[in-house]
Amino acid sequence: MADVLDLKERVQHLIVTMINPAVAAHGGFVTLVDVDDTRVYLEMGGGCQGCGAADVTLRAGIERLIRDEVPEVTDIVDVTDHASGANPFYQPGK
Amino acid sequence: MPAGRTPSTSRASDGAGSAARPRLLLLIPTTTYRTEDFVEAALRLGVDLVIASDEPSTLAEAFPDHLLALPFADPAAAAAAMRGYAERRPLDAVVPVDDATVVAGAAIAEALGLRANPVAAARATRNKLAMRRRLAEAGVPGPAFAAVRLDEDPEGAAARARYPCVLKPLVLSASRGVIRADDPPAFVAAVRRIAAILAEPEVAALGEGTDTLLVEDFVPGAEVALEGLLEDGRLETLAIFDKPDPLDGPYFEETIYVTPSRLPAAAQAAVRGVTADAARALGLRHGPLHAELRWSAAGGPAVIEIAARSIGGLCSRTLAFGTGLTLEEIILAQALGRPTGSLVRERRAAGVMMIPIPRGGVLEDVKGLEAARAVPGIEDVTITMHKGQTVVPLPEGSRYLGFIFSRAETPAEAEAALRDAHRRLAFTIR
Repeated sequence: MADVLDLKERVQHLIVTMINPAVAAHGGFVTLVDVDDTRVYLEMGGGCQGCGAADVTLRAGIERLIRDEVPEVTDIVDVTDHASGANPFYQPGK
Repeated sequence: MPAGRTPSTSRASDGAGSAARPRLLLLIPTTTYRTEDFVEAALRLGVDLVIASDEPSTLAEAFPDHLLALPFADPAAAAAAMRGYAERRPLDAVVPVDDATVVAGAAIAEALGLRANPVAAARATRNKLAMRRRLAEAGVPGPAFAAVRLDEDPEGAAARARYPCVLKPLVLSASRGVIRADDPPAFVAAVRRIAAILAEPEVAALGEGTDTLLVEDFVPGAEVALEGLLEDGRLETLAIFDKPDPLDGPYFEETIYVTPSRLPAAAQAAVRGVTADAARALGLRHGPLHAELRWSAAGGPAVIEIAARSIGGLCSRTLAFGTGLTLEEIILAQALGRPTGSLVRERRAAGVMMIPIPRGGVLEDVKGLEAARAVPGIEDVTITMHKGQTVVPLPEGSRYLGFIFSRAETPAEAEAALRDAHRRLAFTIR
């Protein structure tokens, strides 16, 4: 069993100090919703919610950062309701 | 595999870079629908994933070797940039995910010695006039056609045209700007309407091909789409989709795709044969292919378009192969030179509706989602436009309100489920 509190604090610190300052450039932000053992639940908001590049940001960026800094994390779950995004930075098209 | 893919989960370790793993470059425009399905497929395959987009990622500074920006509109520059990158970090495959990146993908592959379509073939798929000329030269059945320059007198061009005809921009996708004309006044009106679309800044920026229109004879008949995979020039058909809603114009909004096709076996064989001929005529050799054809008992198959990419939108979610592989996993495995396994589609019928935009305005609300999802046979309903967004119908627009996915025992049942679910949705657009 991982030290969930410690893990949660470390992920939260990462979001506040590295992830959100970066995605803020596109009006976005990321919220840590929960940590269940080593599974992390994230929600993307602002320009990230519904953005056509959200998966790139999450899978190739945020996930790598978390893996590098908090290697105990095994799963990352995006619980964002992307369809309700009111102002996505990039709107998907065909 | 179910069509719905939220919430999205992945193993954190899947995203890691490793010298021991093959390195794959995905070319992903920032506005494509195809990001999620390709990225998830790449991570499932366990590759060292490098992503290039046309705009810099917000996290590019943190991952300069994995999140790149490339000028997709300048394939030579994109290839030069990746040649330099690959000297430090060799790449095993490059995969362009949609139309906007196929030429850059071919140029990069050529520069790096990777297997891909020739650049000239990729270019031919991106210009409808060049494509039509190559197909005609090779004797591939298709409509008679002519080119009309936007700076010429439209009344004169209208007088020369045969009716009914279809006017098309050379460089746009998703039926954007495609208009049927039944007489000279409609022809002139269509020219002016398409010219306005081509003058929009993001379209004009495409440059090549925005000064000319293609005029084709209207081809009556049922329209089908063929999804295929080319391996050293040999076409493997993955699926043939029927498009049961008539596409007779004046605009050509695609709505329902259902597979397997209900065309007679001989007609499907003819569709496969003509598509293979078309791919050969264009010089396509490797990777995914998406073809659209008309078929009639009187005329047989006629090629409408061929694209060197997989099916657009979220429509690939209708497809599952072998033990459950997605279309994207097959495409990436092939690019990496891995065995693709069985390319036999699942036994059940599957369908997708690209939810049409009934009129222009601002999307205020969507109701009936739960009722639509509760229809037997419906796997998911995904709304891809957001509340508050300005929605633009064809021919000026190029997006859909969302997608409905179904699976059923028969194509008729899959289609009926889509129509039933769509009836239960209510969009408020003001």
